[in-house]
Amino acid sequence: MKILIAIKQAIALDEDFEIRADGRDIEEDFFLPDLNEWDEYSLEEAMLIKERHADTPVEVVCVTIAPDSADEALRKCLAKGADRAIRVWDESMEGSDPVAIARALAAVAKKEAPDLFFAGVQSSDHAHGATGIAVAGFLGWAHSAVVARLDYTPGAKEVVLKRELEGGLSQELRLPCPAVLTIQLGINKPRYASLRGMKLAAAKPIETLAPGDIGLATNDCGESGSLARVRRMYVPEKQRAQILAGDVAAQAKALAAIIREATGS
Amino acid sequence: MSLDGGMMDPHAFTRILFQDFPSWEVSFFYLVGFAAIGSFIYGVYREVRKYLRGVPDARVIWDYAHIKQGIVAIATHRTLVRRDPYAGMAHRAIFYGFGVLFMGTSIITLEYDITSKLFGIHYWYGDFYLWFKLAMNIAGVSLVGGLIYMMVRRGWIKPPKLDYARPDRAPDAPDYDRSNYRIEDWLFLWILVIIGVSGFVLSGARMIWLADRPEVWDIRWWSPVGAFFAYGLRALGLDAEGAVILRQLIWWSHGALALTLISLIPYTKAKHIFTAIISLVVRDPLPAQRLPKVPEGQEQIGYRFLTDMSWKQLLHLDACTKCGRCHEACPARTTGGPLSPRDVILSLRELANSALQYSAVPEQSKLAMHGTGVGQVSSETLWACRTCMACVEICPVAVEHVPIIVQMRRALVEEGDMDPLLQKTLQTIHKSGNSFGESRRKRGGWAKGLPFPVKDARKEPVDVLWFVGDYASFDPRNQKVSQAFARLMHAAGIDFGILYDGESNAGNDIRRVGEEGLYEHLAESNISAMQSADFNRVVTTDPHSFNTIKNEYPDFGGQFEIEHYTSFVMKLIEEGRLTVKKQLGHRVTFHDPCHLGRFNKGYDAPRKLLEAIGCELVEMKRCKDNSFCCGAGGGRIWVPDPVGTEKPAQNRMREAASIEGLEVYVVSCPKDLTMFEDALKTTGYEGKFVVRELLEMLEEALEINLVEAEVTA
Ligand code: SF4
Ligand code: SF4
Repeated sequence: MKILIAIKQAIALDEDFEIRADGRDIEEDFFLPDLNEWDEYSLEEAMLIKERHADTPVEVVCVTIAPDSADEALRKCLAKGADRAIRVWDESMEGSDPVAIARALAAVAKKEAPDLFFAGVQSSDHAHGATGIAVAGFLGWAHSAVVARLDYTPGAKEVVLKRELEGGLSQELRLPCPAVLTIQLGINKPRYASLRGMKLAAAKPIETLAPGDIGLATNDCGESGSLARVRRMYVPEKQRAQILAGDVAAQAKALAAIIREATGS
Repeated sequence: MSLDGGMMDPHAFTRILFQDFPSWEVSFFYLVGFAAIGSFIYGVYREVRKYLRGVPDARVIWDYAHIKQGIVAIATHRTLVRRDPYAGMAHRAIFYGFGVLFMGTSIITLEYDITSKLFGIHYWYGDFYLWFKLAMNIAGVSLVGGLIYMMVRRGWIKPPKLDYARPDRAPDAPDYDRSNYRIEDWLFLWILVIIGVSGFVLSGARMIWLADRPEVWDIRWWSPVGAFFAYGLRALGLDAEGAVILRQLIWWSHGALALTLISLIPYTKAKHIFTAIISLVVRDPLPAQRLPKVPEGQEQIGYRFLTDMSWKQLLHLDACTKCGRCHEACPARTTGGPLSPRDVILSLRELANSALQYSAVPEQSKLAMHGTGVGQVSSETLWACRTCMACVEICPVAVEHVPIIVQMRRALVEEGDMDPLLQKTLQTIHKSGNSFGESRRKRGGWAKGLPFPVKDARKEPVDVLWFVGDYASFDPRNQKVSQAFARLMHAAGIDFGILYDGESNAGNDIRRVGEEGLYEHLAESNISAMQSADFNRVVTTDPHSFNTIKNEYPDFGGQFEIEHYTSFVMKLIEEGRLTVKKQLGHRVTFHDPCHLGRFNKGYDAPRKLLEAIGCELVEMKRCKDNSFCCGAGGGRIWVPDPVGTEKPAQNRMREAASIEGLEVYVVSCPKDLTMFEDALKTTGYEGKFVVRELLEMLEEALEINLVEAEVTA
């Protein structure tokens, strides 16, 4: 039995940061990289399944689509007990959007053939919330997003789960395996990865693959394989709030003037 | 009375052993004697085997200095009279009484069974015999007197520290009740008292029995207590014939009890005679100040199983005499936490006695130290410890609790068994190098608020490198103190600098949490930053950083001469580089920070400074080595104390408030300032007295008038 987990080395920002010269991202010096918070939970969930059912061997495999700077995130997962770590990358993958990432993840999933595929609901930096579900789309597997509780016995043909909906509602689902689940914060209490654990994990191998190794063509990757492209990244100007005075007609007139000014028409 | 010039042969003055005993009785006595010795030897073997099941201890040094300090401690009873002088003196009386009596018995045995039989040498007669009798009488009085005090203490005085109730167990837990300890305590006392008193009765009975022999009766006052008993027994109507019977009876009970005691030593609390002595000899001079480094290449760290402990620590478990001094001193226990250092030791002792005392070492599950079972230590107990070292410092037999607790925490950290907030803090420190989660770049931000630039020691050579530490760098209240210290050094013309973002958290508390990997990381990064700077010495306002840089960085290759600001400033005043211009005239009390006082014996400098600035110092009852931790140590500053219980800092505020007319509660540690200013508010003493950092008072008294700029950080 195998669980494959999508991992992302997410970026937090130092308080004062600068935008990169090309205006499409933040200058790397200001990056504070760490394992995406949601992924801590999906890994923990996999580890719990592994540990609760000690009689059935469960293999927990982490995969990331990123350059080697993300090795640290994988090491953290290995330190927490993941069995294997895979990283797929080459330069052609630069500029991938969530869908291109998902295509690569799906290709790894086909190769690894897991019983369950976990991803975080979203990443703490870009917050697209798209990758996990797009993987399900590529694979054509059953899927569920924002999973808040999970019942699964290794080897079972299906998984029972609870999702959180808006307005305080919950939904219980039963999905056939293999399935793609995106895991919500709070589903468990992620364990601490001690620094020694991480250092020891540095000795464990990370399997590195190129897109070709998982059957991807160059135009499946990077900007050519993406539907979206970052045009520019910027700090929005400080907005002003203004209360429009007068009767409705006066307010409407003032509002129209503001709109005209903003749109330049 | 002396035998000089007497008419009798001095050889007549002796005691004939087994006088008038039928030979079967003598043989029987020898048989019992050998059985007792056999039992003793087997017991010792069993104990030694138990200790050797621990790992070797690289920090035990058998050299002259160590052995000497141990022997001096034992001979003077220095560690026993502390904070309990009467019990200490009573123990001294018992120790010397027992020791002399034991030696006396050995001297007799040596002559009777060895020198006389093998070489025909006799020495136990004449003058020597008389003085010997006198010495034995005094020793007997000393023994019995000490024991009686101990009985009174246990039976009537009942100091709370002798209460074995445990704060870490529910009353219905199987190992809550410690009645067997109490039975053992009393049995031990009674056996010893009876041995002592029966010795005197025996001596008195012999005098009556042989009263017609001048070589016995004429020298009766050489054993004054014996003679006293002889008169007493006679007054009760005992004649020579009765004395023969009484003597026989008492002789056997005295002998039987003494042999029983010997045979039981390795199996009962009496073994502390040996374990305590060895424990004192092998004591570590820096038990909590310098925590054990993980040996190169060792993968598993921390203690999980009894056999992970060193032989010395297993021996420590048996050295504990349940005196309760650590129990009394512990801030966690005092404020109702689920921890008593005594009970940590006793639990593990019970576990070791059930698991390691048999011919084979059981499977690992029986050796597990963590847990809530009998003899195990729970994670709540371990996390309650503030590594303040109060326990280690006061233990009369040199039990070192803190390294055991930290080693067990290391295992908890590896397993991730810790408060989520602590986990977050550790991650924050790993990521940003400080516990505030602030950007590294802002570490030196407080210095921008000064009217002069603070040198960057990474860029230019300085005389004094100031290691600032997290709290003094980032906490807004403490930033003010840091600025005060900068102004003070500036005024004294010190050439100083800081490492700015090259500095990270010093790691002292992280190490005490048990996150050894993160500590190694921080220590190595600070050491390399310091080594690439050019300076002569280091100063810090933070006792925590002070301790680890002074005592622990050397293990990682960082040898630096470091001083805490208190002694540093005191020297500046003594050298005349700073002059006190104003006498403050406050009535103050001083809180010794654990890491400055107990850890590094920096008791005097702050007191001298207070005197120099004209403050009247009124000590709290718990001061200097007995200072009461503010509760922040061991990483506990990052974990909130449970609501509804008194915090250590609040307990301390109440203590300070009991000082008549107190104006200032003086601290000299950034964490103390934070903890006590908070506790002052929550205890409602605000307005009665204030909490001030000694540095700020110094600045006022030295009248360092630099324009104070706002912190722009
Ligand atoms: S170090 Fe302090 S808090 Fe910890 S057990 Fe000892 S006395 Fe108690
Ligand atoms: S550990 Fe030391 S201080 Fe504590 S009870 Fe035992 S002997 Fe006393």
